[in-house]
Amino acid sequence: MRQYEMIAGLETHVELSTKTKIFCGCTTAFGSEPNTHCCPVCTGMPGTLPKLNARVVEYAVRAGLATGCRINRISKMDRKNYVYPDLPKAYQISQYDKPLCEWGRIELSNGRTIRITRIHIEEDAGKLVHVRGNTLVDYNRGGVPLIEIVTEPDFRSADEIREYLETLQLTMKTIGVSDCKMQEGSLRCDVNISVRPVGSETFGTRTEIKNMNSFTYMEKAVAYETERQIDLIESGGTVVQETRRYDEASGMTESMRGKEDADDYRYFREPDLVTIAVTDEQIEQWQADMPELPRHRLDRYTNQLQLPAADAALLVKYPRIAAYFDEAAQGVNARTVANFILGALFRRLPTDAEKENAAFPVPAAYLHDLAALIDGGKLNMNLAKTTFEKMLDTGKPVSDLLTQADLAGLDAEALAAVCRAAVENNPAAVADIRAGKEKAMGALIGYVMKATRGKADAGAATALLKQLIG
Amino acid sequence: MITQEEIRKIAKLAKLYVSEEEIGSLTEDMARIIAFADTINAAADTQEPFDSIQSLQNALREDVVRPSYPQEEILRNVNGGEDGYFRTKQSREG
Repeated sequence: MRQYEMIAGLETHVELSTKTKIFCGCTTAFGSEPNTHCCPVCTGMPGTLPKLNARVVEYAVRAGLATGCRINRISKMDRKNYVYPDLPKAYQISQYDKPLCEWGRIELSNGRTIRITRIHIEEDAGKLVHVRGNTLVDYNRGGVPLIEIVTEPDFRSADEIREYLETLQLTMKTIGVSDCKMQEGSLRCDVNISVRPVGSETFGTRTEIKNMNSFTYMEKAVAYETERQIDLIESGGTVVQETRRYDEASGMTESMRGKEDADDYRYFREPDLVTIAVTDEQIEQWQADMPELPRHRLDRYTNQLQLPAADAALLVKYPRIAAYFDEAAQGVNARTVANFILGALFRRLPTDAEKENAAFPVPAAYLHDLAALIDGGKLNMNLAKTTFEKMLDTGKPVSDLLTQADLAGLDAEALAAVCRAAVENNPAAVADIRAGKEKAMGALIGYVMKATRGKADAGAATALLKQLIG
Repeated sequence: MITQEEIRKIAKLAKLYVSEEEIGSLTEDMARIIAFADTINAAADTQEPFDSIQSLQNALREDVVRPSYPQEEILRNVNGGEDGYFRTKQSREG
């Protein structure tokens, strides 16, 4: 069999986290009784007029800036006409030939670049529930602002799609324009996919898989659809250009509509909305108050702070955790701080949602103070670890948990005295060590730690004990 | 010149059911409508464009929540709907 490669492009819909809908003052809150976040504008009542939410323009431009897009200073809205019950007006207000943002990019870890064709703003449709031969419609989501991010056909594997989506998700969360909750549908994507023999320069016929709202389904759907197309071509058939749906139950894609019903949206300019103008000053301001983007943060953690790549990625994955880390690691050993966060703190935030939320029991300054004591040699790692656990339990700072004596450290003389006592008081263990049973050293170290309330440095004590035992 | 085939397509996209007898007269009507639009276009070429959406910019709204309508008010035109929803015939695809 010939070798094939898959080629895919993505259209990603991201719900913006504005307080109100794109064209009216109804709330965008998720999960209420049906048709309670609605007004005559977002239910398409005759005679109503839309008015564009300023924040939607701002958020879309911020998304464009964060993905390296060119921002169009003049932009406009268009009507995309189609008749379906999720759209009460029988058209969606979207952007056709003058989107707000064009020509951006997202870099992948394998060195490849995914080119972003455009980012435009539009209104979300209502939600349909199919029951008993009827379709029930809830317009709460109708009119919620979306950005649609369209890429060039630059993907060559499902892994690349996943990494792109994760980066996009993290970027949008970091700049605060969307919470990107896939389970609530605030990030969904359509994949355009085709296959061709390796080495071929022309594109094969593509199919589009609609509305995937989980990474797992996306990966399964892409794998299935790639195989389906290859099998079809290898068995002498041809791929038909069509829209397909991924069925979660069967794990297969199925045809939704074919080319004969090809989209004909008869776009035309939305006459109820005026031109959108974005000024250079606005762009400069939004660029200036853009937070550090995930890829820059990752670079800083691995290069400047010398964190292992896996640790850095884990911190960067949760923007609030990363911010906490940055605050705690100011001027102290970053690896120490990272280890406390990824160890003790992560154990107390076991789920992804808890890490996202990052409701920390203690302020970052407390962890910073602890790390400073370790750096200054005032506190050994064992005592620091138990102190941090106590800190997390009680919410108290280091100064409340450790006495002056704890922090005084042990001078060499005091440590030597304790070690001598350990040897004198544990003759059995000493005999075992002399007989070659290294494990018995644990008993002596335990004695030393108990006597010093954990202040002794285990490494130094071991060296000293070995010397004493001879 | 608009064709009968185009009229059938437009009707289909608009989910309008048009009988074969109507096609001829609808095609003539549509031809007249388009001719009228052409007249306006030709006139627009001769003067300054009278286009408020071109000349106006940024009629924007602050992102401040206003109360939505009560559910029963929203559903009043459909006799109260069903369980808080609008109800339509089964529709798939799209």
